[in-house]
Amino acid sequence: MNTTVIHAASYLGPEGFGNDLTGFCPWPEALAENLKKGELDGLHWSLLSNSDPSRFLRMDLMCRLGFMAAELLAINFDALPDARRDRVGVCVSSFTGCLDTDIRFVRMPRPSSFAYTLPSTVIGELCIRYRLKGPVLSLITAAPGGAASLTEALEWVKAGDADLALCLSLETMNPSTVGTLVLPPELAPQSWHGAAMLLGPAENGAREKPVEVGSLQALCQKLCRLASHE
Amino acid sequence: MGTPVATALNHHMPAHIAIAGCGAITAVGAGVATLWEAVVANTSALRQREWVIGKTTQNVTAGFVPEEVVKALRVTHPAHADSRAFMFAAAALHEAMGNSGDALKNIPANRRGLVLSTTKANIEALDQLNRRQLVSLPAQRQIQPALLAADLAVNLGCGGPVQCVSAACISGLSALQQGALLIQRGEADVVLVVGVDLISQFVLAGFHSLKSLDPEGCRPFDQARLGLSLGEGAAAIILVKRELLPSPAVCLTGWGTSNDANHLTGPSRDGSGLALAIRRALERAELTPNQIDYINAHGTGTSYNDNMESLALRSVFGDAVPPFGGNKGLFGHTLGIAGVLETVICVNALKHQLLPGTPRLRERDSVAPESLVATPRPAKNLQRVLKMNCGFGGTNAAVILELNPA
Amino acid sequence: MESLIEELKTKIIAGFNLEGVKPADINPDEPIFGTGLELDSIDALELVAILESDYGIVITERSVADKAFASLRALAEFVAANRT
Repeated sequence: MNTTVIHAASYLGPEGFGNDLTGFCPWPEALAENLKKGELDGLHWSLLSNSDPSRFLRMDLMCRLGFMAAELLAINFDALPDARRDRVGVCVSSFTGCLDTDIRFVRMPRPSSFAYTLPSTVIGELCIRYRLKGPVLSLITAAPGGAASLTEALEWVKAGDADLALCLSLETMNPSTVGTLVLPPELAPQSWHGAAMLLGPAENGAREKPVEVGSLQALCQKLCRLASHE
Repeated sequence: MGTPVATALNHHMPAHIAIAGCGAITAVGAGVATLWEAVVANTSALRQREWVIGKTTQNVTAGFVPEEVVKALRVTHPAHADSRAFMFAAAALHEAMGNSGDALKNIPANRRGLVLSTTKANIEALDQLNRRQLVSLPAQRQIQPALLAADLAVNLGCGGPVQCVSAACISGLSALQQGALLIQRGEADVVLVVGVDLISQFVLAGFHSLKSLDPEGCRPFDQARLGLSLGEGAAAIILVKRELLPSPAVCLTGWGTSNDANHLTGPSRDGSGLALAIRRALERAELTPNQIDYINAHGTGTSYNDNMESLALRSVFGDAVPPFGGNKGLFGHTLGIAGVLETVICVNALKHQLLPGTPRLRERDSVAPESLVATPRPAKNLQRVLKMNCGFGGTNAAVILELNPA
Repeated sequence: MESLIEELKTKIIAGFNLEGVKPADINPDEPIFGTGLELDSIDALELVAILESDYGIVITERSVADKAFASLRALAEFVAANRT
């Protein structure tokens, strides 16, 4: 009976970034103040990676967060055989989705930003980058922290619909920016974040952790904190 | 042929999720009966209107929901009178519930789920806010898809799981899959699946800037096709456990999704991603390609999409592509509704044993398989239908419907 | 004309989010598309949109765009001749 485990977990949010291997790192001081307030223009690929940023600046905030969260997993997808990579699923859940991009677009409609007025575009960007063809799902959910994404990804692996599943919880807006629209305050995300996990069958790997069903955001934060104290 | 689909570890039993009822609000008008009449007559409900985009006035041909339908809905939903998204979705759902016979009778609220499919929900409220117009609180909050879903769940008495899928043009089929999974996992006995999207300044400006609209109206799979036409409205399908319905029943037996993993705006797609989604659906339904009797394609009318679909069909079906067609010439590309609405067409095709045509087709593109159905015709023993859609970001989805599977 | 060329360079760099590219890096006599700037078909549409919103020029024919985008200099001449 093959159990499903967490192969990798990553997190970026106002307080810092990290994964289950390296633990939490604080943001560079020059950025920390703005990031805490939810002003994310300074969030850049080069903070995490030396590799070619390719389309990074063309992407909107939701896609940048997803890109960075996935990169932070420190998983070498290229090392997977084709047949396996064809069956890596990608599932995203968000509450605010690409609303910040929508607001920008309605004020200045542009072809380059139109594709980003969809919360599912981040899935496309990730599948292109890592060449993943597995099942895909994009959910907008009022339940905070991405429990929906984690649940669906887990079900995919358990049912054999995917060999591995990349699940993400992404929030780009914090309460101060959400006020542009009338949203009940209790539903507004408490912080921007990008949280990602790679789920798969147990393979006796060093990074394997048991899955706890619940908020993806909370679980990723916990795993990063645990790694920091090891 | 592409990479063969690896066999899943678990052996999939074809799911027995049945369709109890359908509802629709489209450019044709209100109700599935009205819609089906238009399908049988092979007409088009696309209309031309002038629309200011940027600094110019454009002629836009699209599937607008008639104003008299909207007026009638405002009478029945006064609290949401300025949210067309809510009104369309609620109306489609109430019609579908009404068409479900006794299937839902004894299902308690906490066993009744709802899955919403939408790309932009009540986006026209954002246009209105941007123009400093007054917008009611419900209409504003329904810009947020999850809140629109919550409001609909309350209106329809759904106390079970509520999900909202927003995945570009595959949202509808993706939502149907999620509904089926909720039943299969035992989280609900009934799931109300509803798709809704609006023609708005926002979306029109976007597609116009990509130069992908045909000002005269879309012609899927046509030699002279120039682009897509947008559509709006809502469509609803009630999914139930098979045992809740008397025979004969249309069942959802297979589904699958995939990503091309190629290019975001993908002009060079070779159809392999779509072919993969189709194969996954066939595998789950435990069917071989030659068992499919009819295919309802995505068929947007853009040069690239219809070409890519033709390649995907040939890849899966070889020389024996079953009869296929596309309905977007009737009501346009309805984005988040498309998967649900076009599945409603497939359900009716099975019930009435009629192959729908491809409205607005004049001359078949030479690349498209010859089995393209131009005008509707009676079907001999139509049992199994494949429905597919493809979306921005290289996503693809397919579902399989069967009439009374064993 | 030179100041218009510089203005267009700035708009292209900002509009296409070209990281690390400075105005001096862009050769006004080379084709805008199909060179080291790595612009794609969406960027061409973006340029059409910028011409409409910033200079009031509406392009509807592909052939008009192809000529105007032949180089930055060609674009500047096109803008100077057609701006409203």
